[in-house]
Amino acid sequence: MNTTCSPSTCTPATSGVTESLRKPLYNINGNAEAYEIRVELPGVPKSNVKLDLEENILTVRGERSTTVPEGMKALHRELSPLSYLLRLRLNAPVSEDQMSAKLEDGVLTLHLPLKEVAKPRQIPVL
Amino acid sequence: MKIIRTHPFSINRVSGLDEWFRHPLAGLPSLSSFINNLGEVFPGVAGDKLAVDVHEDKDSYFASFEVPGVRKEDVKIELNNGVLTVAAEKREKDGEKESSYSLTRSVSVPDGVNAEAIAAKLEDGILTVTLPKQERSKPRTITLS
Repeated sequence: MNTTCSPSTCTPATSGVTESLRKPLYNINGNAEAYEIRVELPGVPKSNVKLDLEENILTVRGERSTTVPEGMKALHRELSPLSYLLRLRLNAPVSEDQMSAKLEDGVLTLHLPLKEVAKPRQIPVL
Repeated sequence: MKIIRTHPFSINRVSGLDEWFRHPLAGLPSLSSFINNLGEVFPGVAGDKLAVDVHEDKDSYFASFEVPGVRKEDVKIELNNGVLTVAAEKREKDGEKESSYSLTRSVSVPDGVNAEAIAAKLEDGILTVTLPKQERSKPRTITLS
């Protein structure tokens, strides 16, 4: 099969949009019952957080709202205007219907309860 | 200039350690400035310095600080001798354990700011301090009597 083509004959599946994203700071705590993930997303309003769990990959996306209204002049910049993307691979089955998420003061807290099969079991000796 | 990527020590948020590092290196300007500039290399990660953006429009100056996880009651803002100081206490709860560390930043405020009308709001982990400019004294015409 001919794998080469000229730009006019092969168009990419999606239009070339490049996005710059950065990985947010996060913490994971867990016990035998559940995992708790805290992700720092300063500047992201609640409506701009997207959560997705697919094939054991948890994706957290936070679009930063534009902090600079029009007509403003930047005098000094240190904050990054980039949006956030965090992808985590879960190594334990999580009961998806009991997952919960909360955004407070720019910190997203995710509660991921483990499925019964993943919890430690005591086997009584008869 | 040559930039060398090194990790001579782990970047830690413990401010006590940071102070420990600063103190013995006080006589080594290059190293202490390296430590002071960590915040620029790793924004939001290094030490106890808060990152800030300053914007201006025709009526006010706006200083925005990134303070994720800080509650409204844990923020202190002070204006003293033309220096605006923001101190934020961050508390984290990990089950039984609770840890807290403080972040501070000072910015010098330009002349002509109406100190009485400074306002601040905390939203989505961003603290915005609004510093309204004083109205310029308008030219006055003095009529001869």
